[in-house]
Amino acid sequence: MSTLATTTPAAGRSAARPAVHHVTFPRVVAAEWVKFRTVRSTVWTVLVTIAAMVGINTLAAWAISMAPDGAEGAPGTASVVTLLASGVSMAQLVVAVLGVLTVTTEYTTGMVRSTFAAVPRRLPTLAAKALVLTVVTFAVGLISMALSYVTTLPFHESLGATLDLSDGETLRRALGLPLYLVAVSLLGLGFGALLRSSAGAIATVVGLLLVVENVFLLVPLRFFEVVSPFLPATAGARIMHDAPMLAMLDSMSAGDVSLTPWQGYGVMLAWVAVLLGTAAVLLRRRDA
Amino acid sequence: MIQAQGLTKRYGAKTAVDDMTFTVQPGRVTGFLGPNGAGKSTTMRMVVGLDRPTAGTVLVNGRRYAEHRAPLQEVGALLDAKAVHTGRTAQNHLLAMAATHGIGRRRVDEVIEMTGLGPVARKRVGGFSLGMGQRLGIASAMLGDPATLILDEPVNGLDPEGVLWVRNLVKHLAGQGRTVFLSSHLMSEMAVTADHVVVVGRGRLLADAPVQEIVGRAAGTTVRVRSPQAGPLEELLRRQGLAVTSTERGLLEVTGGSAPAIGDAAAAAGIALHELTPVHVSLEDAYLQLTADDVEYHADPGAAGARRAAADPDSPTRPGATAPTTESALR
Repeated sequence: MSTLATTTPAAGRSAARPAVHHVTFPRVVAAEWVKFRTVRSTVWTVLVTIAAMVGINTLAAWAISMAPDGAEGAPGTASVVTLLASGVSMAQLVVAVLGVLTVTTEYTTGMVRSTFAAVPRRLPTLAAKALVLTVVTFAVGLISMALSYVTTLPFHESLGATLDLSDGETLRRALGLPLYLVAVSLLGLGFGALLRSSAGAIATVVGLLLVVENVFLLVPLRFFEVVSPFLPATAGARIMHDAPMLAMLDSMSAGDVSLTPWQGYGVMLAWVAVLLGTAAVLLRRRDA
Repeated sequence: MIQAQGLTKRYGAKTAVDDMTFTVQPGRVTGFLGPNGAGKSTTMRMVVGLDRPTAGTVLVNGRRYAEHRAPLQEVGALLDAKAVHTGRTAQNHLLAMAATHGIGRRRVDEVIEMTGLGPVARKRVGGFSLGMGQRLGIASAMLGDPATLILDEPVNGLDPEGVLWVRNLVKHLAGQGRTVFLSSHLMSEMAVTADHVVVVGRGRLLADAPVQEIVGRAAGTTVRVRSPQAGPLEELLRRQGLAVTSTERGLLEVTGGSAPAIGDAAAAAGIALHELTPVHVSLEDAYLQLTADDVEYHADPGAAGARRAAADPDSPTRPGATAPTTESALR
C-alpha cells in the first residue's frame, strides 16, 4: 500500500499536513507486538511457560533415569524428544491463559476503545493478535525444548536416548510440540474474543483441556466414544506422540477412528478456525 | 466536519439516542451539552464506529469512520480517559497507537511534550490521576494531527491550569480550521469555550445554534424595573400586553418589551423609575430552561425552577420542549 497518497487538507488549516499514513496489516501487527511486549503480565507468562517446561522436563528425565532397569516407565532407547515434552501438559495451560489475556485485557481495561478507534475495521486487529501469539508461542515451544535439551543432557546417555532430526517421526514430534502449543493458545484467543471476560474464558479453555476432554475419554458411552477423538486437544496432541503411544491410545479408545498425527492436528486447527471465525463475526457486530 | 442523520441507538427498550440530526462545522468549537445520561457519550462512540447505530448514519469528513484508511489522521477522539491498558506506560501506549498508522516516535514525543506528560511518560498508566489520564487521552487524540477532534468531557478531573489549557488548545485548534466537537455537562465551561452548541436531553436534540443565540432565546426580553409607583406601572404595562411578575415590593420583572419602550411608557404616564435593567441570562440559565423536562435524574425539580426565575417560561421559540414548565410562571 502506498503511503504517498494525499488527502485534501481541510479548508483553512494553517499547518501543512504530514504525509498520510494508512493503516496496513503489517502496521497493525507491529502495534500488536508493541502491545504484547510492553505489558508485564505477558512477559511474565512467557517466562513462566519456559521455566515450567524446562523444570518439569528436567525433573522427569531425572526421575526416569532413577527408575530401575526394566521397570515400567523406563523408556529404553527412547527419542530425546520424549524427554523434552514432559512439561507440555503444564505449558499448555499457561499458553491458553496467555491467549485469553491477549484479548480480554483489552476489554477489562477499556483499551479496546483506543484499539478500535485506530483500527475501526477490527478484523486486522484480531488477525494481528493471532499472528503475534502464534509466533511467540511457537518460539516459546522451541526455546523450551532447546533449553530442556541442554538441561537433560546428563541423562541422555544413561537412558540411551538419542536425537536424530533426519528421522521423519522425530522431526514431526519436535515441531509438533510448538505447533500444539500454538493451537492451544489460539483456542484461548478464540474463547477470549468470544466471551470478552478473563475469568469466563480462562475457565472455559482450562475446563475444556483438563475436564471435558478427559470425561469424554473415560465415559464408556457410545456418544462420548465417537466424539472423543475429535475434541481439540485429544486430536491435536497426536502430533506430539510417537507410534507406540498412538497405538496405545487407539487401543484404549473404543472408537473406530484412528487419526494420523497430521489429521489430528488438522482437526484441532478446524476447532480454532471455527472459534476465531465466530469471534470475528461477533467482533464486527458488537459494540466495543 | 461531522454529519449525523437520524442517528438512533437503542439498548433493548431504552432509547439512548433518538433520531438526532446535526452537523458539526469546521473552524469553530462546537459544544455538545446535556445532562448526564442524555446520550452524549453514546453519540460520540457512534461517530467513531465503536457503537453501531440502531438507525441513521453519521459521517466524519464525508465518510463513515470505518471507511477512512487513516482514521487517526481524520479524527482524534478522547472518549474515555482510561481507554488504556493500566499496565502499560503512557509512552508505550502512544507508540502502540502510532504503530497502527506508521506514525513515528518523533510525533509521539511531540504529543507527550505538548500535553505536558513528559515527567510521567515512562510510568504505568494504572497509577495516573484522572487529570493525567485526560492528558494522555488528548495526546492520543492528537497523534495523527487530525482534522476533526472529538473530546468527551475533556476537562473532567483537570486542575484549573489544565482546564485553561484545554480551553486554549481547542480554540487554537478550531482557529486552524479544524472541527472541534466537545462534550460537557458544565454550562459554564461551554459558555467560555464553545462558539456553537448542540444541546441534548434524554437522547433528543433540543437545540443546535450559536451560543449567543441560545442565550438570546432564553433571555427573551426580560427587564427588571424598580419604581416607587409599582402598582400603577404594573397596570399600565399589563394593558400594553406585557407579562409582569413581582417578587418583592416595588420591583417588577417585565417580559415582552424592551427597556427603552418601558422607560418611555413610564415617562409618558409620569411614573418615576429607580431602576431599568435588561436581565442578562447566562448560558447556564438557557441550558437549564432547555433541558428542564429532559433531565434523566432529577434531584430537586424546584431547584432547577428557581434558577429560571428570570427567564421566560412560555417563550414560543423553545425548541424540543414538549411540556410547558409552570413553576416560574406561577410566581
